[in-house]
Amino acid sequence: MAGHKVGHATLKGPSVVKELVIGLALGLAAGGLWKMHHWNEQRKTRAFYDLLERGEISVVHPEE
Amino acid sequence: MIVLKWLFLTISPCDAAEPWQLGFQDAATPIMQGIIDLHHDIFFFLILILVFVLWILVRALWHFHYKENAIPQRIVHGTTIEILWTIFPSLILMFIAIPSFALLYSMDEVVVDPAITIKAIGHQWYWTYEYSDYNSSDEQSLTFDSYMIPEEDLELGQLRLLEVDNRVVVPAKTHLRIIVTSADVLHSWAVPSLGVKCDAVPGRLNQISILVQREGVYYGQCSEICGTNHAFMPIVVEAVSRKDYGSWVSNQLIPQTGEA
Repeated sequence: MAGHKVGHATLKGPSVVKELVIGLALGLAAGGLWKMHHWNEQRKTRAFYDLLERGEISVVHPEE
Repeated sequence: MIVLKWLFLTISPCDAAEPWQLGFQDAATPIMQGIIDLHHDIFFFLILILVFVLWILVRALWHFHYKENAIPQRIVHGTTIEILWTIFPSLILMFIAIPSFALLYSMDEVVVDPAITIKAIGHQWYWTYEYSDYNSSDEQSLTFDSYMIPEEDLELGQLRLLEVDNRVVVPAKTHLRIIVTSADVLHSWAVPSLGVKCDAVPGRLNQISILVQREGVYYGQCSEICGTNHAFMPIVVEAVSRKDYGSWVSNQLIPQTGEA
């Protein structure tokens, strides 16, 4: 059976492969945006601990 | 300076539950950081699948609307697509399983020589902490109870249902062993920022190893139903510098040696 095109009496019909490829591309793009967010969070966390280690910032409130 | 301020203000640590909180609390141990990273890895696949399935759904509704497509097709087989939609999910599961097992086994690693051992004993409805590494002259270990501060006794800025009268003070950047048990019914010693949840079972000693990476105050709550005041026996861990920890231990022990 022709899995690539869905036949109609008069119209051409959608291409299954094309829709799957577009869906996958959109999914990967959205996933890529999430990955960028994740890498940014990791970078900020690493920077935070680096600054903490070097003593440039502190999480302890200075005693008055 | 502006960069420092931006970094600090955007990453002011969140080590307690917040109203309308959506994500995790900030990690204060390597274990919790690993849990957050694993969640992010899995969420990538979740988003991919969600967007892909939504796209296919919307397009199917679009193309096969009854007005556009009066005669439905009767498709019974599609060998290629059936193979694809078996193999791709298996691959996704494999990509999820690898970091998951790596984290699981690393969490099970027991630190061979922790600097300090603390016992956390659950009661109805409070926790008792024992620091048995420091025995005073009458062989009594440093022991204290930790009760929730009732709402009417809270000071300005304190957190409702989370504050306690005596916190678990621990040194930061030091390997700790926590032994959790119970004196009566089941409880669970849980602190989200530290990535810790350990059941307190009467007659059993459960052990966990933690390394708190930064000083701070970390809040948790009992996580196993234990009776009417299950929601009112929180846990507060205060990580301080080693010097401050030494001073705290000395101060705790002095009254006991004074009495001996």
